Amino acid sequence: MSGSKKISRRELLKAATVAGIGGMTLGLSKVGEAASPKEKPPAQTKSTKKILGVDVIKLGGQGVISGAHADYGWQIQAGAVLAIDEINAKGGILGSKLELKFMDEELKPAVAVKNARYLATDWGAHLLFGVDSSGSAMAVGPILPELDRICMFDHASTHRLTEELVYGKGIKQIFRIAAPVYQESNLAALIFKDFPNIKRWAGIHCDYEYGYSVWALFKDTLKKYRPDVEFVSIAWAPFWTMDFSSHISAVMAAKPDGIIATPWAGEGVMLLRQALMLGVFDNIQAWFQCMGASVDILEGISNEVAAGKFKDKLWATARYIHNYPDTPENNKFVASFRKRWNRFPNYSAENAYSTIYVFKAALEKCRSLKTSDLIKAMEGLKIMTPAGERFFRPEDHQAIYNVPGGRVVKDPNYPIPVLGDLKVFPAQAYYRNPPFEPLAMAK
Amino acid sequence: MKTRLAILILVVLLALLPAYAGKYALYVAIHILLLSIFSLGFNLLFGYTGLLSFGQAGFYAVGAYGCAKILLAYPSLLVGIVGGVVIAGAVSLLLGFLCIRHTRIYFSMLTLSFGMMIFSLAWKWRDVTGGDDGLVGIPRAPLEIPGLFKINMAPMENYYYVVLAFAILAIYLFYRIVHSPMGLTMQGIRDSETRSVCIGISVRKYRLLSFTIAGMYAGLAGALLPPLESTVTPPLAHWSHSAEPVLATLLGGVYSFSGPIVGSVLFYLLKDIIVRFTEYWQMCLGIIVVVLVMGFRGGVVSIFSRKGGQR
Amino acid sequence: METLVFQGLVGLSVSMYLWLLAAGLTIVFGVLGVLNFAHGSLFMLGAYFTFTYYGLWGVNFWLAIALSLLSVAVVGYFMERFFLRHIYHLDHAYQLLLTFGFILIFDDAAKMIWGGVAKIPAMPSFFEGTVSVVGRPFPFYNLFIIGTGLAVAIVVWLLFEKTWWGKMVRASASDREMASAIGVNIPTLFTGVFVFGAMLAALGGALGTPVRVVAPGIGAAMIIQAFIITVIGGLGNLKGAFVGAIIVGTLSAYGILLFPVFELFLIFLIMAVVLMVKPQGLFGG
Repeated sequence: MSGSKKISRRELLKAATVAGIGGMTLGLSKVGEAASPKEKPPAQTKSTKKILGVDVIKLGGQGVISGAHADYGWQIQAGAVLAIDEINAKGGILGSKLELKFMDEELKPAVAVKNARYLATDWGAHLLFGVDSSGSAMAVGPILPELDRICMFDHASTHRLTEELVYGKGIKQIFRIAAPVYQESNLAALIFKDFPNIKRWAGIHCDYEYGYSVWALFKDTLKKYRPDVEFVSIAWAPFWTMDFSSHISAVMAAKPDGIIATPWAGEGVMLLRQALMLGVFDNIQAWFQCMGASVDILEGISNEVAAGKFKDKLWATARYIHNYPDTPENNKFVASFRKRWNRFPNYSAENAYSTIYVFKAALEKCRSLKTSDLIKAMEGLKIMTPAGERFFRPEDHQAIYNVPGGRVVKDPNYPIPVLGDLKVFPAQAYYRNPPFEPLAMAK
Repeated sequence: MKTRLAILILVVLLALLPAYAGKYALYVAIHILLLSIFSLGFNLLFGYTGLLSFGQAGFYAVGAYGCAKILLAYPSLLVGIVGGVVIAGAVSLLLGFLCIRHTRIYFSMLTLSFGMMIFSLAWKWRDVTGGDDGLVGIPRAPLEIPGLFKINMAPMENYYYVVLAFAILAIYLFYRIVHSPMGLTMQGIRDSETRSVCIGISVRKYRLLSFTIAGMYAGLAGALLPPLESTVTPPLAHWSHSAEPVLATLLGGVYSFSGPIVGSVLFYLLKDIIVRFTEYWQMCLGIIVVVLVMGFRGGVVSIFSRKGGQR
Repeated sequence: METLVFQGLVGLSVSMYLWLLAAGLTIVFGVLGVLNFAHGSLFMLGAYFTFTYYGLWGVNFWLAIALSLLSVAVVGYFMERFFLRHIYHLDHAYQLLLTFGFILIFDDAAKMIWGGVAKIPAMPSFFEGTVSVVGRPFPFYNLFIIGTGLAVAIVVWLLFEKTWWGKMVRASASDREMASAIGVNIPTLFTGVFVFGAMLAALGGALGTPVRVVAPGIGAAMIIQAFIITVIGGLGNLKGAFVGAIIVGTLSAYGILLFPVFELFLIFLIMAVVLMVKPQGLFGG
């Protein structure tokens, strides 16, 4: 650095002017909104015809739409848009149309919080939904009382969201439509308790909350049924792991019979394909990929499944799978989703689609946009959705519904692999129930 | 006289902001004030001392986690904020002692690695930091001096005034620092290390001082965050967060007192506005950075001042 | 023991991507004095171009790699000729900032062109299969990667040590004015070196395409690792980059096996210690 600089008073003056203009524009953007409101009123335009008092019900969504996990945000958006268009085509909810604004949470809690604040207090969202990462959900949850809005979490799966924040701290504005982390971990334990030859388990897990809780719950539950199993090795992979070879070879060194893995989205595809390269499926009896039945992963390993490379040893679940249950609601949803987007819906799409219908049911029940009324309407709500009947447990606002696990197989009726050999357990068998004991997360 | 008047008007406008701005605007204003404090400290290192740090987010996070831990244990706003600043100051003094041995690219890389070490601690030291979920449920504790007064901080407006007061204090102190003999010495070292050594200045001492003050400013910005958001998470310490004051300072102007402040206002508003219209806000930001480096290295402030953009 | 050997070999194959990335970074720094923050983005572009030619258009795998190297060479040419060249005289901070701006641009451009969803095309069939190493299956592709990495190391070494061009480059790296005085066309030489570095990064990205994930942002995630490697090996030191890449790659592999909890912390700690104790790197003079 060279050249001498003196700070002149003139610069300070210029700075003051610029900063002042900045402050003014902040204020000015509000001037148009009449009557000096401290925030946009939930009802912008009064209309006597409308039961809810608004022409448009504004829905503020967010999910990750950038980076290696971007498909999840896309699926949330696609599911929500489908539901909104269906409802609007039939005249909206109690005569009010739906409008959506969707933002990128970037898997960053600070961004998710800012989005929620912007959507609720500036854009004027009546209802919030979405959020992909657990960290983001744990950050958004606590500000909901201040924003006075409900948020339906569509994907973030940490059990702490409903157990600590809703049940423990009483933040009633949080609801979650997706099955939480214990679905895949306990379900896997229930499935594999019946495989007496699989005695040595290893894990390849996300190096964050999600991976820790899956591994802890899986071990706990399986140990209850099968005192004879051993957990022989574990490898942790942070976000942005570019190469899982080292993780795979590290756990394979312990000669496991079975492997349970959590990396999701593009990382999940990469993990499975690198496991194939390392000949893992010749040396183990089963591999359980927790979110492996998500459409992006099924698409990514389609050729390998068709060629039989996984030797029917790959098992998976997701928080909804498109070939279960065989009900008119699900078949109709999958058909319209395919027609609209030319892809299969993954669980975040179904979760978002059903979110909008849960909002509809709750609004029609309480006929009010007030957060307290909506909370009452949604607690204990039972609703038929594509994934089956969902029940919102009043204690922790967690939706209870049933998702099976199964083998990843090629089915001539579908262009991408699906889950076959489905293992169905009642949801009560693998959900955690209040009062919740904190998980011991020894690593 | 004119300057004082302008500053007075600006302060009055800012003080009246809650009266004419909505809740979200107030939230944005708080974030801009935080970024301004963060960037000012950064620029003491960069603009005044000639050291480009890529690890300032580490000290920001230390301030934030420090304040959060205090508030969770002892809900008093002042104790939390001051505590956060003191802890950040201590950590930056310690790491500064190691970092200022080098300059130029080596300094940048060293600060990057220390910042990322703090990030990795925040991520992995789960018993203390809560891991990737971070610390949640941090109270916006009342502003209290026992026996004197106690102000409820629940309304955003009240907290805005606290942040504004801290920001004005920080800016005023900064003005005093850079115009003191110490500040002038720092600039002398930046311009010619050899000359400074020749006239008997302890270059390291001044660099360490500058590093510690910058760390405390980052810590202050960080400590003001948890009461606002009620959460702190590891990305606060990530190097990509360290890039924010760098970009803001570059945008406003490196070689002016007010550059980082003006830059923070522009950076935050620009990002907030671009994000609403396009998901490609990073590209817009990237183009702005490239244009600034290629043609307007003095930043926005210099475009308005007579000196022009060239050095 | 077998476990350690096998894990080391896996780590070695991971190291080779890092080596290809770090090689270009350190050459460009050594000669031009610019630390290119966007070097990881050139790695990413190499992967995306390969994905397009090979995965989307069905071009032959080898030809696709060659085409993607050329494509990134063009990008590198534009970066150097129209931007970097004009700020060589400035403080290194501005070069870091300019190239940081390019990261933001390249990431969003990739998202605009290829979308946000991660891409992994099918592996060319001639690479499938494994060979037995200490009784465990080791992928043929990883052997190929190790071979390529070593071959590139030899070629680059020959290029810089034995050719006239290499001598000119080294001459201008150590004394620009002197080199210029004896008739070396410095601007052209610099463009050539930058393009060469970009192509090395692109090769790393291209070779990873069939087995690793291609998504916007992988460049920014990789560049920090490349910084660590070049710092450990010594900024501008080619041999150091090679050894540094192997240290970081195998250490991470052993870290996952032996002490999984503080792997990231350890790597940054090593970087900081090297910087403090021996800032010219483990192999610096």
